[in-house]
Amino acid sequence: MRFKLLAATAAIALLATGSAFAESANLTIWSWNVAASALKSTLPGFNKQFPDIKVTVEDLGNSQVFDKTLAACAAGGDGLPDIVSIENFEAEIFWSRFPDCFANLKELGYTADIQSKFPDFKRTELEVGDVAYAMPWDSGPVAVFYRRDMYEKAGVDPSTISTWDDFIAAGKKISAAKPGTVMAQADFNGDSEWFRMIANEQGCGYFSTDGQNITINQPACVASLQKVKEMKDAGTLTAANWDEKIQANTAGKAASQLYGGWYEGTVRSTSPDLKGKWGVYRMPSLTADGPHAANLGGSSLAISATSANKEAAWKFVNYALGTNEGQVTMLKEFGLVPSLLSAEKDPFVSEPQAYWGGQKVWADILATLPKIVPSRGTAFQSDAEGIFRATQAKFFAGGYPDAKTALDDAAKQIAAATGLPIAQ
Amino acid sequence: MPFRTRSAYAFLAPYLLVFATFWVWPIIDSFLISFQNTRINPWKYSFQANWGRLFFDPAFYNALYNTLIILVIQVPVMIALATVMAVLLNSPLLKARPLFRFAFFAPVVVGEVAYAAVFRLMFSLDFGIINKMISAIGFSPISWFDNANAAMAVIILAVTWRWAGYNAIIILAGLQSIPDDVYEAATLDRVSKTQQFFHITLPLLKPIILFCVVLSVIGTMQLFTEPFLITNRGGPGGGTETLGLFLYRQGFTALNFGYASAIAYTMAALAVVISLFNLWIGRDPK
Repeated sequence: MRFKLLAATAAIALLATGSAFAESANLTIWSWNVAASALKSTLPGFNKQFPDIKVTVEDLGNSQVFDKTLAACAAGGDGLPDIVSIENFEAEIFWSRFPDCFANLKELGYTADIQSKFPDFKRTELEVGDVAYAMPWDSGPVAVFYRRDMYEKAGVDPSTISTWDDFIAAGKKISAAKPGTVMAQADFNGDSEWFRMIANEQGCGYFSTDGQNITINQPACVASLQKVKEMKDAGTLTAANWDEKIQANTAGKAASQLYGGWYEGTVRSTSPDLKGKWGVYRMPSLTADGPHAANLGGSSLAISATSANKEAAWKFVNYALGTNEGQVTMLKEFGLVPSLLSAEKDPFVSEPQAYWGGQKVWADILATLPKIVPSRGTAFQSDAEGIFRATQAKFFAGGYPDAKTALDDAAKQIAAATGLPIAQ
Repeated sequence: MPFRTRSAYAFLAPYLLVFATFWVWPIIDSFLISFQNTRINPWKYSFQANWGRLFFDPAFYNALYNTLIILVIQVPVMIALATVMAVLLNSPLLKARPLFRFAFFAPVVVGEVAYAAVFRLMFSLDFGIINKMISAIGFSPISWFDNANAAMAVIILAVTWRWAGYNAIIILAGLQSIPDDVYEAATLDRVSKTQQFFHITLPLLKPIILFCVVLSVIGTMQLFTEPFLITNRGGPGGGTETLGLFLYRQGFTALNFGYASAIAYTMAALAVVISLFNLWIGRDPK
């Protein structure tokens, strides 16, 4: 406690002495993979405006940032960098358990004017009452990233794939045309991204939108899990983690990947030799007339309450996320889909992209945004996630008679772990 | 208190202080925390929140099961392997003995993160050398990290690879302490080599082997790095989640310190039971 007081006094003293200190500062940011690279890409533009603020981006990997930030918050903010990247769906555990760990951005200059530049659904998970803990960064409108040449060789036209059954049939043709290749890959070992994308498209998630009920065993989720199993059984999907997917992309072993729009930057930066061979099409649905729009991922930046350079940190956050220049740079360089509404109308969005064979990928991906119903993470996200992964693995291995029984069991376990009721 | 005793405690004080702060207090505190619901601010006493949940939590039984499976399969296999390796290393026919000793011991020196990454690559579905070899002899490749049993096999292989040589060196030291005249006498009595192994070598090695078993059991109870790194945090879907990983997940990912403390105390109780069992097995038959 005494330390906190000291830090607070020091911070006030710094603020009181005016901008002379705040202008020259060293900032550290924790982030991961493409997100970290994207932040780095905004630095030249940022340093043109603020030459005295030196920013270091540390790429720790996604789950490490989460774990280390939680541990640091539990230790009263000790060891936190100035700025932390936080994924929206696992953000609420920070605000609910450690309301003092992060600075209130409103006190640093996050005015109602700036807030209104972001869509409401991106802000709900980041604000509690009067306090804004983080600023929305990007979203993850889901699309299928596919190899044009492999689809063509198998005689598959992606525009005819509108249901997951079409996707399975196309996968059989593609694997037959080039043995040793697979239609797509899923991280069955350490993630649940396919289920979450398909369920989200169907309007179902672990929890209800208000975060008060468990909805994982609702019919839409059951149908989604069933479909994932069908794809696994049909050989449409094989297991691969993040790195293995990239290896398969580069080696031409996978014909497509399903991810949020931010995967654009990953494909482009990790397989530069395959320029012109990749394309994008909208995600299939359970039924041909489904919404074909889902969200996966999407993050925000928060400033730690213990940072000695909150003013400078705010300047960076506001530049990187709150200006078209910062957001469009990250879109161009690493494919991060801006949350900033004005950046979505930037002329760059409607330009054809050379890497993607001249396709206007951003216009196509962003067109799904209005139809997305975001799913709520809640403070119990990691409990639910752990239970779901175990259920999914057991279901795939034949441990449940059907998807309904599997998800009923998952719902019961989540209820036991969180104390939340199961929605009727 | 006599002066001498007092001054002894005075000299011990710095250590005792550190011990009390960083050992005794956390042990007591985590016991108290295990009875609190730590997911609400402020924490509140609740027996139900942790202890009430633990014994009905399928994830706990899954982690317990996985840990025991490793204990029951990996430890005996590894100790048997280590004994065979030690006997071979001890053979007078062996040339370049220091080289082999080093080769068997080398895995222990390799950093955990590095060897985990290499194992992950070796067992990769499309590019791993293991699947290439399996395909070469005509079987279909195995998706190692996508099937709970296969993933468990990888963990057991990895741990055995790393620690078998270490145990072999310990057992080798034990072998070399067995006096030669015992064997000479046996040979004069026309006892075959095999019988010598079972009736002389093994009984005389018993304390050493027991020591290795105790070390390995403790190591298995704490197993964390391999399932964390090789099978990506105990995947697929908890298929290789050990008690240590389960504790970590509850404590630091779900941030439920109360529940994590309850798990820690259960693990400690389990370790005591298993140690007592070991002592009972290794008791002097008199």
